[in-house]
Amino acid sequence: MEVALKICRFDPKKDRAPVLQEFVVSVAGNQTVLDALLLAWQQDPTLSFRRSCRSAICGSCAVNINGQPALACQTLISKATENGAAVIIEPLPHFRQLKDLVVDLEPFFESLRATIPWLVLRDDYDGKLSPEIARQLEDPATCILCGICKAALGEHEEIKPACLVKAMRLSQDPRDVLGLHRLRLLQVPPEVLQLFIRKLPERCPKAIKITEAA
Amino acid sequence: MLMHEVLVVGGGLAGLMAALNVSGHADTAVLSKIYPTRSHSGAAQGGFNVAMGEDDSVEAHIFDTVKGSDYLGDQDAIEVLCSDGPEVIRELDRMGVPWTRRDDGGIAQRALGGAGFPRACFAADFSGHVVLHTLYEQILKQGVKVYPEWHLLELLLEDGRVAGALVYDLPRARLEVIRTKQIILATGGYGRAFAKTTNAHANTGDGMAIAYRAGAVLSDMEFVQFHPTTLYGTNILISEAARGEGGYLRNTKGERFMANYAPEKMELAPRDVVSRAIFKEIKEGRGFEGHYVHLDLTHLGERLITERLPQVRELAIRYSGVDPARAPMHIEPAQHYSMGGVRTDIWGMTPLPGLLAAGEVANVSVHGANRLGGNSLLETVVYGRRAGRKVAELAPKEAWPSLSEETVRRHLEPWQARLAAEPGKLSQDDSTFAIRREMTSLMTNQVGVFRTGIELKDAVERLEGLRERYHRLPIPTGTQPFNYALMDYLEVGYLLDLSEIIARGASARCESRGAHYRMDFPQRDDRNWLHHTLAHRGERKPEFSAGQVAITRFEPQERGY
Repeated sequence: MEVALKICRFDPKKDRAPVLQEFVVSVAGNQTVLDALLLAWQQDPTLSFRRSCRSAICGSCAVNINGQPALACQTLISKATENGAAVIIEPLPHFRQLKDLVVDLEPFFESLRATIPWLVLRDDYDGKLSPEIARQLEDPATCILCGICKAALGEHEEIKPACLVKAMRLSQDPRDVLGLHRLRLLQVPPEVLQLFIRKLPERCPKAIKITEAA
Repeated sequence: MLMHEVLVVGGGLAGLMAALNVSGHADTAVLSKIYPTRSHSGAAQGGFNVAMGEDDSVEAHIFDTVKGSDYLGDQDAIEVLCSDGPEVIRELDRMGVPWTRRDDGGIAQRALGGAGFPRACFAADFSGHVVLHTLYEQILKQGVKVYPEWHLLELLLEDGRVAGALVYDLPRARLEVIRTKQIILATGGYGRAFAKTTNAHANTGDGMAIAYRAGAVLSDMEFVQFHPTTLYGTNILISEAARGEGGYLRNTKGERFMANYAPEKMELAPRDVVSRAIFKEIKEGRGFEGHYVHLDLTHLGERLITERLPQVRELAIRYSGVDPARAPMHIEPAQHYSMGGVRTDIWGMTPLPGLLAAGEVANVSVHGANRLGGNSLLETVVYGRRAGRKVAELAPKEAWPSLSEETVRRHLEPWQARLAAEPGKLSQDDSTFAIRREMTSLMTNQVGVFRTGIELKDAVERLEGLRERYHRLPIPTGTQPFNYALMDYLEVGYLLDLSEIIARGASARCESRGAHYRMDFPQRDDRNWLHHTLAHRGERKPEFSAGQVAITRFEPQERGY
């Protein structure tokens, strides 16, 4: 089917402000917004957007699709065109736009450092963990650092969502010395934390559910 | 000019493991064309093979790997792989990898293809992902400098020794020279040379092609792994763990057809055997709609699927609309992995002084003619660690190799001129997109699972034609940030070089061994072909020679499953 895309274009060396450029591409219903972007790129190779795995595990292609932050490779084009209008593709909000759909990820990756983003191993760890606890660690460990949580919850600037997920993942690990101190050290106001825990699963492309153990 | 004693190129499992082992001993930086956590190692689902079970042994793991390699793997390298494995897995455990556990709290292991025991340590079906992110945490801990979205362009050699790299900073559209004592390549494979591949867009063989152009040797490039189970149409990977947990392959008659090809191992025969079986079923009219077979998990129950294969389930639902807990998945084989690569010794060192390689980019060779599931993740961490340790020993003691201004200028100036030029007018008649489309469909159709001399010869000729067209294309230059058109142009160039070496190697090897199957030479021929194929850069085309296979314990015998 023919699909119209409106893609945000911005080259800081040339443009004063972003504009939407229209493309028409021909895609199959089971293809994704990423497939559509790749076709648009063939029409105009100066279009910039990140991509790699195309199976929702690398986190590269997070963009704003019709006003909602999402992974382009995880969004079926048929879903994005449900209302019949052109699909509007913009960079993630609450990130600095560098070129077209590419945003500055440095502050996002740097935000991990607000917790100590690695396991601080207990001296007495004997190599064993219960299967139930190991299973609980899995869910937050599926975080792909795509940035969608920050884009979706960005109005609360005091939240560093990826850092919170990392802190929660490590704080629940019995091998970690710091454990729950990690969350106290972050000093997130309790009501903000509650809101985050409530909102994250519906916004996160991996549907990460964190439980409040704090 | 930047200086780092050690530069690791590539931020996947092998690269991060290498960097981690050098850090603290020498000034180390990681240069990666995408953010390290975006690396394709993260897409690996199944697990890491190590002999840790009570009935299992390192000896058995070595034998399975040698047999799986169709006796082309170097047995000294395989011995290192299997012997170092258990220690590395425990090391990763202490870094915080959330391995799936047994009831007694020990690390659980599952069966993967070609293995005599349940041998793969895993974390549900996110095994590569969780280890990648754990290693990234350790890189932050060690304070290793990362250059994300920087591309390696050329290796800089002085008197035959690698002394630095010419690199391109994609976000700022700038060239940079980095002086080094040692460079470790960990840039992964070239899956994007094929139309049907499980690989990410980033997997364009950059490191292999750049090393080859600089004079390194590529070996066994004709051995390309085709994964049996990818979603029909999109070729999204469905882990071997789906069969390891008990999934069945069925044809249109509902038969578990693997009984006719590998009666003992059935669905858990090695990948080369299973991929050929699937195509044979389809060819003989027992494929659905003439194109795919079924991978059936419905008998495993929803609970096991949710616990052990959550990603497989999610991928199948999202990309094919099939819930594997309720209906069989539609699957077809697709390119997945490169057994061949930059020839190294068992420390990752190449014949070019100052250059090492580890992981998929390298050929040690532990996989020979066919890799077993669960051995590539193991290879990344074992050989990444070894390359790192070797360099940690070398770099602090040695002087900076000389790198003359003249050499730097010779490499830098053409690039400066190219990037400063007005972007060439894009041709209406030809483009990297058109060349890439033709190359990838040629590779899938003529250099795939079943090969013939005639088709391979034709493929080589057509690849030469594509290369001529490629050299006539205008270069998409310019000063804008994130110039992906320029990257695409370079990547298509790498893929064309590698495709030609793969096709020529396949054309020359008149036998069938592991993943290389010649319909006109269906038997393995140890008398003439029990050797590695070594490819060197020649004047106008690659030149080939034979390399000896290290056979230490197991004499070649017939391979049946």
